[in-house]
Amino acid sequence: MASSAAAARRLHFLRRHVYLLPKPHFSYSSAADVLDDGGGGGRVEIFDRDLKRRHRDRAAWAMRESDGFVDAVAENLLDRLEDCRKAFPSALCLGGSAGAVRRLLRGRGGIEKLIMMDMSTDMVRKWRESENAAAGGPETHFVVGDEEFLPIKESSQDLIVNCLGLHWTNDLPGAMIQCKLALKPDGLFLAAILGGETLKELRIACTIAQMEREGGISPRMSPLAQVRDAGNLLTRAGFTLPGVDVDQYTVKYNNGAKKGYSLSDRSYLPVNVWVIYMTGWREHPSQQKAKRRGSATISFGDIQKQFGPSEN
Amino acid sequence: MRRTAALLSIHGGAGGRSSIPSALADVLVCPLSKRPLRYCEASGDLVSDGVGVAFPVVDGIPCLVPKDGKLLDKHQDKPGDPSTGDSSG
Repeated sequence: MASSAAAARRLHFLRRHVYLLPKPHFSYSSAADVLDDGGGGGRVEIFDRDLKRRHRDRAAWAMRESDGFVDAVAENLLDRLEDCRKAFPSALCLGGSAGAVRRLLRGRGGIEKLIMMDMSTDMVRKWRESENAAAGGPETHFVVGDEEFLPIKESSQDLIVNCLGLHWTNDLPGAMIQCKLALKPDGLFLAAILGGETLKELRIACTIAQMEREGGISPRMSPLAQVRDAGNLLTRAGFTLPGVDVDQYTVKYNNGAKKGYSLSDRSYLPVNVWVIYMTGWREHPSQQKAKRRGSATISFGDIQKQFGPSEN
Repeated sequence: MRRTAALLSIHGGAGGRSSIPSALADVLVCPLSKRPLRYCEASGDLVSDGVGVAFPVVDGIPCLVPKDGKLLDKHQDKPGDPSTGDSSG
């Protein structure tokens, strides 16, 4: 009896998560698509995570040893660790430029054990090779995993750094909630995402070109979070003491190949990038917080009576 | 979790190529159910018993992306831990 109940539960679980697993293993995959009623209702897959993974594989061999922009973002993010008196013995490092984070860590945050995770096996291998080359630094472990399905135990990390990775997740609130759960109480979540008016020039160019050629527009670029969204996301994920700030960077691309065009006095193409930095903590009794609504024991009327000007 | 860690450290002590350091094994869970993983020495996979999925360990790096997982057919025969199974919510 118990085993049949367990089997039923397992089946239900698999139906909820069937879209995650490789299709050929399922005989009832077409039925399961229809049965997408639990938890997965209204899922919109904006990003093809498989494709993203291949992008990351490609980036693993295409990327340079260090990149000015990525290093600037990682440095800015890690700088926040110096503002904390707390040490973070165990840390999880995710996101597009986790490699830069590790390289620039330089003992900040008192990290003893570092776990680095990425979707791409090639990227993780590359990190491991560079780790072997550079001695010193914290004890580092490597995992291939998806931010949308964080394989990290609950309440196990003191610090989670996600540097330029979360803007590619389909379920940004879900990914952030999973990060929060993986943090110990009073653990710190640091994230940098692209947002705001990132690549505005390219957006405008794409829109105009498509209007001209096709008489209408369709989304050509990733939707991005706005600054106000970032604060809402942190609160929604349940982080305490949320903090959001924005930095604008202008990346200059060489435009040498385009010299034939008359429009270029400039020898470079400027590209605007907005990086939204998010900071949040997992709840802990030692943190300051507002009292719950309705928890007051004295009414304002009584205060008025006690201290206000007497009417008689 | 303690069980998983113990199994993993035994394997790690043997010095196998695909073994995982226990410091890492302590914090890894199934990405779908968030339950502890069991290391299967025969296949060298990390097995999530509740879901019946095995995640490969390639060259010492655990691959815990859900799509990398292989569904196990004989999950019913596994001596699963009924207490962890029942507490699913």
